[in-house]
Amino acid sequence: MAVALSLFGSNLSILSAQSIGLEIGNRPPEIKLPSIKGDTVTLSSLKGKLVLIDFWGTWCSPCVEEQSELAKLYRKYKQATFINGKGFEIYGVSLDAKKSNWENYVVTNKINWIQVSDLKFWRSPVAKTYNIQGLPFNILIDGNGIILAKNIHGIDLDKEIARLLHK
Amino acid sequence: MKTKIFIFVFFTIAASLFVINDVSAQGQNDPWTPQQLLAPADLAKVLNNPKSPQPIVYCIGMDAVIKGSINVGPAMKAENLNNLKQKLNKLPKNSQIVVYCGCCPFSRCPNIRPAMKLLQDMQFTNYKLLNLPQNVKVDWIDKGYPMSE
Repeated sequence: MAVALSLFGSNLSILSAQSIGLEIGNRPPEIKLPSIKGDTVTLSSLKGKLVLIDFWGTWCSPCVEEQSELAKLYRKYKQATFINGKGFEIYGVSLDAKKSNWENYVVTNKINWIQVSDLKFWRSPVAKTYNIQGLPFNILIDGNGIILAKNIHGIDLDKEIARLLHK
Repeated sequence: MKTKIFIFVFFTIAASLFVINDVSAQGQNDPWTPQQLLAPADLAKVLNNPKSPQPIVYCIGMDAVIKGSINVGPAMKAENLNNLKQKLNKLPKNSQIVVYCGCCPFSRCPNIRPAMKLLQDMQFTNYKLLNLPQNVKVDWIDKGYPMSE
């Protein structure tokens, strides 16, 4: 019986891991948006890496303040090997409305990770799909494309990434 | 005796600091009164009823997502605030005016204060701030209220 229960339990966890959703253990919904240059970058193309999806906007002051911290994390972990993933990537989704604001900020601040946006501000379908209630908001996913953590910032985010390093 | 005076002075200063802090937390320095906050449901009702007198709705933030609203641009920028001033100059002081931004929670929105201050300084008598305490997505879009194309 115990064996049956544990088998049942493991099947359940596999099922929840495979389902698309926004909870820890789910696969996040696909995001397919243009970069500043105009080419489409999908979230799924980053499979195999530890990925932080960073929802932000140049009009959101705490988001802007966080960008320098993200730059430090990016430098620190970009080439690292993790338990479930090789390398660290940031997939920045901007909720800006004007391309010039977004582009100027990214260029001026030398943001060198992936940046995408549909320039639809709060009307962006991705804000609805991800049920975003406010910015900044982020999701950490592993190399298998499974959500590990949601909306963690600052030292907590650094600690969580460090915890996932392959030792 | 000196100790008692010291304790009295200390607690008086501490209490006054607490009161000052409390006042700013309540946003009592903001250039609007609670009566000037317009509930989103009330504006949606008016916009959905063409027979009802329509206010002039200005978006003083990033994007005019509300149906029929006029995009002025973020009021934190002098050029946009000036743009709003030009538009307001053409209106009677008793015009029914609504402004909104909805980027962020009120406490950190950089646009609503300059716009409301301008309306106050220009001595308009019938203007409101749309009450979007969280943002325009949560408090307007998610509620299914009328949107611009």
